[in-house]
Amino acid sequence: MPAAEQQCRRHPVPKPSSAWALAAAGLAYALVAASTTAFTRSADFVTAVPIIALAVLVSLRWPLRTRPLRLDPAEAPHPWRAWVALFAAVVGWELADYAARGSRADHPTLSSMLDAVDRFSLLKAVVFFLWLYLGAAMVRRGGRRRGRGRPIPDTGPSPSPSTPTGSP
Amino acid sequence: MSSALGYAIWALLGLATFLVGARSRAAGAAPARPALVLRRLATGPILRVLLVLGWMWVGWHLFAR
Repeated sequence: MPAAEQQCRRHPVPKPSSAWALAAAGLAYALVAASTTAFTRSADFVTAVPIIALAVLVSLRWPLRTRPLRLDPAEAPHPWRAWVALFAAVVGWELADYAARGSRADHPTLSSMLDAVDRFSLLKAVVFFLWLYLGAAMVRRGGRRRGRGRPIPDTGPSPSPSTPTGSP
Repeated sequence: MSSALGYAIWALLGLATFLVGARSRAAGAAPARPALVLRRLATGPILRVLLVLGWMWVGWHLFAR
């Protein structure tokens, strides 16, 4: 198994019971959020709460200074290339559709397709839950290691082994 | 251009995402796993700011305004 994958697996994982409780809470919140209508105060409120919560969690859990994850070139020569290409293709097509003349039905964007999905409460709840899940995963992946109070060690070559990462 | 072509290209992009994700799970795979991609984004000094702002904007755009 590549070293970076091992690092990833050593990342603090919530206990199964607390993970299930968190998932249940997220699902319940997503169902409540799905019952709101866009452009109303209630929709603003239920969307703002996770946004503020993420801002607080990121401020508390992410180290002030960090070093980007680097994978061993021998194990993975181009680990990001396919994802970057895919992201570029999605952004390019989204912009092409957005700028194209004609109706949105003729040139569907991600937003317009998700607007169609949002007309169904259950599907909207699923999309909202996935958004919450992504936010929670972001907080976890960028966070410090549990109990250490410092960032996850980088897998790449360190400029100075005696210099602790993340300390000012 | 008809809407069918637009939806077809979105479907192809969705399929490509699925295939890259599936390929990343194979032994000795070239693409990194999605968890590693997220960790790379969340540990980049500038990328992590863009990641957080992007997540916030997507939520506000899709569900509030």
